[in-house]
Amino acid sequence: MREITLSQAVNEALAEEMRRDETVFILGEDVAEAGTPFKVLSGLVEEFGTDRVLDTPISEPGFVGLAVGAAMTGARPVVDLMFGDFLYLVMDQLCNQAAKQHYMSGGKLSVPMVLRTNLGATRRSAAQHSQSLQALVAHIPGLKVALPSSAYEAKGLMKTAIRDNNPVVIFEDKLMYQDKAPVPEEEYLIPFGEANVKREGKDITLIATSSMVQVAEKAAETLAKEGIEAEIIDPRTIVPLDEKTLLDSVKKTSRAIVIDEGHQSYGVTAEIASRLNEKAFYHLDAPVLRMGAMDVPVPFSPALEDITVPTPEGVVENARKLCAGELIHAA
Amino acid sequence: MPHDVTMPQLGMAQDAGKIVSWLKSPGEAVSKGDALFEVETDKATMEVEAQADGFLTGVSAGEGEDVPVGAVIARISDSAEDDASAPPPAQAEDGTDDAADELPEGHAVTMPQLGMAQDSGVLVSWQKSPGDAVSADDVLFEVETDKSTMEVEAGREGFLAATLAEAGEEVPVGEAVAIISAEAPDMPLSRSRGSATAVAEPTARAPEAKTEEVPQEKPRMAPKPAPGPSGRILASPKARRLALEQGLDLARLVDAGYDQPFHASDIETLKSLPDAAPATGVTSTSRRLIAETTADGLPDFAAWCAERHGLTDADALLAGLAASSLPTPGPVTIERRGVSRTFDAPATRCLGSVAETETAAVLTLRDLRGSRLRSVEMGGEDTPVITLTSGDTGLTLTLECTPAQLDAPGALHLLTEFAGRVEQPLRHLL
Repeated sequence: MREITLSQAVNEALAEEMRRDETVFILGEDVAEAGTPFKVLSGLVEEFGTDRVLDTPISEPGFVGLAVGAAMTGARPVVDLMFGDFLYLVMDQLCNQAAKQHYMSGGKLSVPMVLRTNLGATRRSAAQHSQSLQALVAHIPGLKVALPSSAYEAKGLMKTAIRDNNPVVIFEDKLMYQDKAPVPEEEYLIPFGEANVKREGKDITLIATSSMVQVAEKAAETLAKEGIEAEIIDPRTIVPLDEKTLLDSVKKTSRAIVIDEGHQSYGVTAEIASRLNEKAFYHLDAPVLRMGAMDVPVPFSPALEDITVPTPEGVVENARKLCAGELIHAA
Repeated sequence: MPHDVTMPQLGMAQDAGKIVSWLKSPGEAVSKGDALFEVETDKATMEVEAQADGFLTGVSAGEGEDVPVGAVIARISDSAEDDASAPPPAQAEDGTDDAADELPEGHAVTMPQLGMAQDSGVLVSWQKSPGDAVSADDVLFEVETDKSTMEVEAGREGFLAATLAEAGEEVPVGEAVAIISAEAPDMPLSRSRGSATAVAEPTARAPEAKTEEVPQEKPRMAPKPAPGPSGRILASPKARRLALEQGLDLARLVDAGYDQPFHASDIETLKSLPDAAPATGVTSTSRRLIAETTADGLPDFAAWCAERHGLTDADALLAGLAASSLPTPGPVTIERRGVSRTFDAPATRCLGSVAETETAAVLTLRDLRGSRLRSVEMGGEDTPVITLTSGDTGLTLTLECTPAQLDAPGALHLLTEFAGRVEQPLRHLL
């Protein structure tokens, strides 16, 4: 199978959906002429013109509000939010307006909007351009949240998101735009709420989102050399969450580590760990561990930045402890 | 009837309070609940309310004066002219005074007021015994009111010279419950309130006993001591579930000296403990031992015996191997798909002499090889039963019996020997 970058995969997904459905359009800062800072959208304006690839002023609340209105009146906008950190600017448009219109209109209105943005540290972008804020969005009922972990997922999830009648937020890891993965030529969609078992194992389940799947895969290779067979599960969407696949795996392995790049406290890892505790308690042979980013602003210093996020070494160390039956956090 | 106004005890370790200001003047009419004066301790400044209607008279302590806890500093009288002044505060002695002739000398620890409307507390338990050395923050006793239970600390270093109430007794607020002496007591005193009314009188005179106007300072709640680490067995939820499902007691792992926390893998260890007695068996005292062999040596052995020695009855061979594994060889029944044959084996262990018999068997071999059953738990039966089931590569041998049929060493010997013979039948010839 051919291999393409995550960037190309997103570009393909958008182009295919724009060809298929003329109500799909893109808007955001630098999406047309510049093709976004990560060059994800290069070539789209040439094919679809400036009517369907709209450069907006630097006003996130303005153009996200515009997208919500367009979606309510029949279009399928794909909003480009240049950095995930700018979500703070659009909280009202996203959480109060987009997320609640369908409910408050008694089902008369829907908001088939996609908000494309990114997450991820270790790009030396400092504290205001390195956050992974998926937990903020996942907390709000009415929003779906997808976290592609490779080019294959990025394309399949994007196409599903555009066709979904609800507001969807997709977070791409900004360090993965140039990562290649096999992506079929033919069309495919990845349904929401279906986790992917990336690797099978019997000793411990590593539940990882986005680029943390790569962290888990590296950890699993090291663990395999020590005789610990780790199973890796990528939920792919955290809202909706495929609980069954997670629970089935944990019931099999009886141990789990949940890894996500958002801050650890009150985060995605906490939510998933809690569900495992609630629904697989009697199958657990060790406490479910969370691994997220440290609860600090992401440092600019490269040396510091690299240790604030989960690392393969950290995952290996925790997995070893759990499998050895060490007393974890005993009172 | 005049009502004494005393210096309240606002904290457990407080001996005196400073009068910051009087909020009523001598002779002024006061109503119950009126703020009377302001008092400052090392912890807080608060207003003290009048506990009765009347007139403020006999004010004997001025502003800025330090007054021992419990000392009478004024009266609330029926008339403004009542000139029977309160004794000056200097006369109100501190805790040593409650050493009535029969009580040891020392500092009285009184029943604290834990809530505004509380006038007594129940002594729940003593945490120290008479004669014990105590330090200031040692918990002396536990008190229960209608609202809460709290621990009361000694408040000063010394020795518990007297306990003046027993657990379960109700003690009015302010009355002495214990006496802390500076010196080790010769004869520590231990009393109940019920048995010694004489005690009530001197303690009632103790200054601390007169804290009628204790305002609502929230008592410091000492957390209850956490249960000792030895109280609860540390085990994973999965290990607990497996133990429960299989009727196993994790405490036996503790007794056997295994390190906590226990995990699912420890359940296998627990099952293999010598006299593991699963409580969920048909009889609660049945034994169940499991052995696994790496190979099933029986088919090859049977073929070899048939070819080289003309012993064509594989069941007789199997019975012979099993009988020889018993502490004392005896008849063995082979049971397979509902058909039973019993063989007697000679004490010589000679497999060629194994012959069918009508004698009652002392051991049953239930051959489930080739079936889909992988694990059985049938409980005790008429004889000890060894069940043969197919494992991944070899066989799983499950021995079930009652303790009366085989003692623990006997059961271990039987299964170990038989498993060895199944894996490598030539062992039998050794």
